[in-house]
Amino acid sequence: MALGGTIRGKKTTLRLPVAADLARFNDWMADLRVRRAHPPWFEPAMPATWKERFAEIAKEPRRVLWSIESDGRLVGLAVGRVWDSGVGLEVRQLVIDPSEWRRGYGADAALALHRYAFDYLDLRRTDLVLHADNVAALRIAERLGYAEYARGRDVYYRDGAYVDQVQLVMDKETWQERWGATEREYASFAPEAFR
Amino acid sequence: MLGPRLEGRNGVALVPPTLEHFRLHPAWEVQPEASRFMGPRFGELTPEKQEKRFKDTADGQTQIQWTIAYAGEPVGFTGIFHIDWVRRDGETGLFIGRHDLYGRGIASEAVRLRTGFAWRELRLRRVHNWVALANRGSRRANEKVGYRRMGLLPRSYFRSGEWYDEWLGEAFANTFPTDDLTARLDVPQRGSGDESQHAGE
Repeated sequence: MALGGTIRGKKTTLRLPVAADLARFNDWMADLRVRRAHPPWFEPAMPATWKERFAEIAKEPRRVLWSIESDGRLVGLAVGRVWDSGVGLEVRQLVIDPSEWRRGYGADAALALHRYAFDYLDLRRTDLVLHADNVAALRIAERLGYAEYARGRDVYYRDGAYVDQVQLVMDKETWQERWGATEREYASFAPEAFR
Repeated sequence: MLGPRLEGRNGVALVPPTLEHFRLHPAWEVQPEASRFMGPRFGELTPEKQEKRFKDTADGQTQIQWTIAYAGEPVGFTGIFHIDWVRRDGETGLFIGRHDLYGRGIASEAVRLRTGFAWRELRLRRVHNWVALANRGSRRANEKVGYRRMGLLPRSYFRSGEWYDEWLGEAFANTFPTDDLTARLDVPQRGSGDESQHAGE
């Protein structure tokens, strides 16, 4: 996994993760509220294990890890995987600290991450997989422009019951229609810049 | 993990892979006939890499792989990958490298053996996979043993000027054909007096 650089949203910033973030990552992976919403990224572990994971992360070229902060506070993490074909990005994790939920951080970070994927990396599509009862994440995905293309039956088990899995995809055309006019990584250069 | 030998019908068997089998994979995977819905036909296709793949496959605790044998010869491979032992779910895959043998029902029999093993021996509760919608033979092989469509990813593959959709399937033990589920290996019962017979299905 590579370490991702700065992507600025309005409320949040995805930034280069550092070793000091690992203890919070561990706390989130041990939090049943997070685990109810998402499959865990990694299981909770000792600090030494997280350091080993972090060292491995930087070596993987197609997986990218970001820390998410707001007003200088660490509030979440995001993990993406560039498809083997290089034309798409799977959003594997977008975790927000449960104590920071309902402040719009997830939606803001997701919008910024997708802008980076389409407007900076020029990818063709993005995809993600959600628990069918993760209403907040589904609402964010729908607003971004995702469409469901598959539903796995009884895929996850937690809290004594099975829950379905929803698979969603968004094409660049949808992004451009919905967000292309307003969400840009950079402002265009003035014509004078090319003279 | 390397899967145990599963004797099937019509000369098909799933057998534990060997390093020699793994060394055949690169030559299979770069053939246009076999790779239409597979990868880009390039990669780290060296003997050293295959040796590492073989070791990793044998050591891996979240996958089980077999070589598909037909008339005693290795002709492809299949397996269950990314097994989640808590959810008891796994992703399945199959590749026939010998395209001159297409149409003989080898894939169907391999899928039947693999899926039966998932229910009877691994106690999985769900398996799932991805198949190019246009790859009707592979899709049918999966449907025959209980896979049902759970979705369709539009425009997933681009080949020769056309986009192809991808079929997503899932199967559960209760969707496996009843006759296949009850036809167990004829393992001799203790005290039955036929301990020397180990016939297949």
